[in-house]
Amino acid sequence: MTTHQAPPVADRAGAVEPAAARPPRLPALLRAGLRRLVGALAVLFGAATLAFAALQLIPGDPVATLLGPATTTPPEVREAIRHDLGYDQPVVVQYLHYLGGLLRADLGQSYQLQRPVSDLIAEQLGPTAQLALTAVLLALLIAVLSAVATAGRRPALKALTAAWELVAVSTPSYWLGLVLLTVFSFQLRLFPVAGADGVAALVLPAVTLALPLAGTLAQVLREGLEAALGQPFAVTARARGLSRAGVVLRHALRHAAVPLMTLTGWLTGSLLGGTVLVESVFGRPGVGSLVLAAVNSRDVPVVIGVVLLSALVFVVISTAVDLLAGVLDPRLGNR
Amino acid sequence: MHIFRPVVARVLVSTVAGSLLLAGCSGQGGGTAAGDKPVSGGTLTYAVDTEPVSWDPHVSTQDLTAELQRQVLDSLVSEDADGTFHPWLATSWESAPDLRSFTFHLRKDVKFQDGTPFDGTAVKANFDHIVAKETKSQFAASLLGSYTGTTVLDPYTVRVEFAQPSAPFLQAASTSYLGLYSPKTLASDAAKLGQGGPVDVGSGPFRFTGYSKGQQAVFERNPDYRWGPQNAAHTGPAHLDKVVVRFLPDAAVRVGALTSGQVQVAKAVPPQNAATVKADPALRLVTREQPGGNYNLWLNGSLAPLDDQRVRQAIQRGIDLDLDVKTVQFGQFPRAWSPISSITPGYDKSLEHAWPYDRALADRLLDEAGWTGRDSDGYRTANGRRLSVQWPQLSANATQQGRDILGQAIQADLRKIGVEVVRPSLDVGAYSTLVYGGKANIVDLAWARFEPDVLWQFLNSASAPAKGGINPTFLPDQQLDQLTDRGRATLDATERGQVYAKVQQRAIDLAVVVPVYTPVALTGVSAKVGGLGFDPDTWLDFYDAWRTP
Repeated sequence: MTTHQAPPVADRAGAVEPAAARPPRLPALLRAGLRRLVGALAVLFGAATLAFAALQLIPGDPVATLLGPATTTPPEVREAIRHDLGYDQPVVVQYLHYLGGLLRADLGQSYQLQRPVSDLIAEQLGPTAQLALTAVLLALLIAVLSAVATAGRRPALKALTAAWELVAVSTPSYWLGLVLLTVFSFQLRLFPVAGADGVAALVLPAVTLALPLAGTLAQVLREGLEAALGQPFAVTARARGLSRAGVVLRHALRHAAVPLMTLTGWLTGSLLGGTVLVESVFGRPGVGSLVLAAVNSRDVPVVIGVVLLSALVFVVISTAVDLLAGVLDPRLGNR
Repeated sequence: MHIFRPVVARVLVSTVAGSLLLAGCSGQGGGTAAGDKPVSGGTLTYAVDTEPVSWDPHVSTQDLTAELQRQVLDSLVSEDADGTFHPWLATSWESAPDLRSFTFHLRKDVKFQDGTPFDGTAVKANFDHIVAKETKSQFAASLLGSYTGTTVLDPYTVRVEFAQPSAPFLQAASTSYLGLYSPKTLASDAAKLGQGGPVDVGSGPFRFTGYSKGQQAVFERNPDYRWGPQNAAHTGPAHLDKVVVRFLPDAAVRVGALTSGQVQVAKAVPPQNAATVKADPALRLVTREQPGGNYNLWLNGSLAPLDDQRVRQAIQRGIDLDLDVKTVQFGQFPRAWSPISSITPGYDKSLEHAWPYDRALADRLLDEAGWTGRDSDGYRTANGRRLSVQWPQLSANATQQGRDILGQAIQADLRKIGVEVVRPSLDVGAYSTLVYGGKANIVDLAWARFEPDVLWQFLNSASAPAKGGINPTFLPDQQLDQLTDRGRATLDATERGQVYAKVQQRAIDLAVVVPVYTPVALTGVSAKVGGLGFDPDTWLDFYDAWRTP
């Protein structure tokens, strides 16, 4: 995970020269790639192991958990289920068996739903990704507009935007979702209440998720912009006759973009892990409700499948963020 | 999803297609839009509060699974609200005098949705599938009880056989838990039936055409349907083209979707919203009491301090249920007097007001039982031990029907007579281990089924948790065993009534149960909907339903 700070060093006015942009020699690139791959595998292995261990630590009989509190299931059937799921074997054997499956790219079968985990995730990931990406883009748009319009402006204006950002950040998404539904779906009937079909059904949940994110991102971005505007290069640029907007858009934004991007990447990753409350309020399918049900019924293969998915998403996103950061700020490539 | 696996009290149903039709009342009162005359075509959207985990009623205990698959799977017989059975896929039937076998004569013109003709081998294939070890049935197999097999006497005559007298079998056979799949589906896709969708092929009025997990299930009219139950309001195919079931776990959203016309029927309207729905001229609120086991507190008679009948009685009489139930549930749920609800066949009305709240009596009983000391917190003690009982709550459905708040009211009442009630909040695994291991003093549970035989499950010692049952009293009682077995051995309504009245009285006298309230299904329905059927177990049936645009 990268946590780049906005570069505090002075910059020359104008475009940054690609001083460090000499093509690296191939072996170095390979080594870096290999290092990343090994790191990614270690993260995935660690995530699977931790999830497996956490599920073992939940008290109570796993078969009883799976069946629920009130069933007339005779002991023979319970034992048959226990045997089928391998719960009658030592934990170490269960663990190795599970790892073996993972190595063969087999995520196993859901205990509860009796379907392959890979199918379930594939089916639920689409709606989640659609919602998460729409929400993040929307949040970025709002944040950039808000921050660019207000950075370095009069204190009164800044206070006002800081106030909306604070409100947005601290609004519970469950509540926001209900309010939006009540106004725009139940009263004005502009959008449908539920579902994952079509753009109309995406609007309210995406806005619900995007507003708090936008608040956070706008705060970070404005701080970055103001730090950049205080730099000597900004003053120089102004002295050269560039307009304020020109300085912000052409220079300061690029400086402030790296921390914004890192944060956005992290937020996207956590959204792709599922957004249980929003899924539940809007009656949308998604990874969040899948994994919540799985945790509650101790459906081990599904839980580990989703944990692996989240780990993978984070690895991919943090790699992408690193690469992008290198493009935006070539000085980072030297490290 | 309740957010997840619906660990609500299982509501088992006897199904009566169109037994309690709303057609009559839909044309009057609030909305007249639906009219009295059925309209063909259109889509009805139904918002439900949970989502089936397994869609196979042969496997699952879930009430919603049974309710929704009712549209797809037909049964041999249909039961109405009076407890009378009507022909469905069986035109007639007779039972052996010892109630160890039932012979059914089948319709000859029925086809499953995949074209397979219906006959005796289909019945045998289904019942055999339910009890097969590989099916791992969590409930339906227990409805078949001591089933030994089905004999196909000729292509359209079958004899279903049992080792023990099985009077409750007909009721069980009327539910979708014993609903009939196409034998072709059973042969090719038995393991996939739980996944839902087109793989679930029955002979019912609707086909299960689409399922998007987390979002909706779609049922489309079976145009060939000519074999509805005899007690339905019409014959031939269903009126509606399509029924779309939306999964909306949030109660406020379900109600909003209903009031804004985005869904036409909403399940489980919360008691606090009942007045709003009732007041809306475009809607009506349908209330139906659940049959079978009420929401009861079951007292573990084998574990101290409730192994003393006087202490159990003190708890039974020391709770001001009239006040607690009325206050917490906005007057929507009636306070209960028997372990089974008043609409259940065999209900004993004489128990009403027979054991009222009596704090003085409760105090006296506890004094007699030797709990005469008091500790610094005001709780009773004996030999230096506090009078304390454990009543675990399942964290997953703690708030269902306001049960958490009701629990606090009960706690406060019992504190007044010096009894401490401890309520640890547990997940399903820990809860089941504690409760079914007999290590909890009190268990709260509702288990509806339109059949007094639910009392066998709760009170017969053969239904002990160690044997896979759910008897939460842990108190073997010869009289209860004999009575609940006898109820299984007769179909005579009068005799059954007498037997089950004795069972209810005995359970109250032994103070192994404190009936609390009868759950009521609150369903919000648009005035544009007519003919919606509710079976006695409060579940919906869409066969006779229609919708005006």
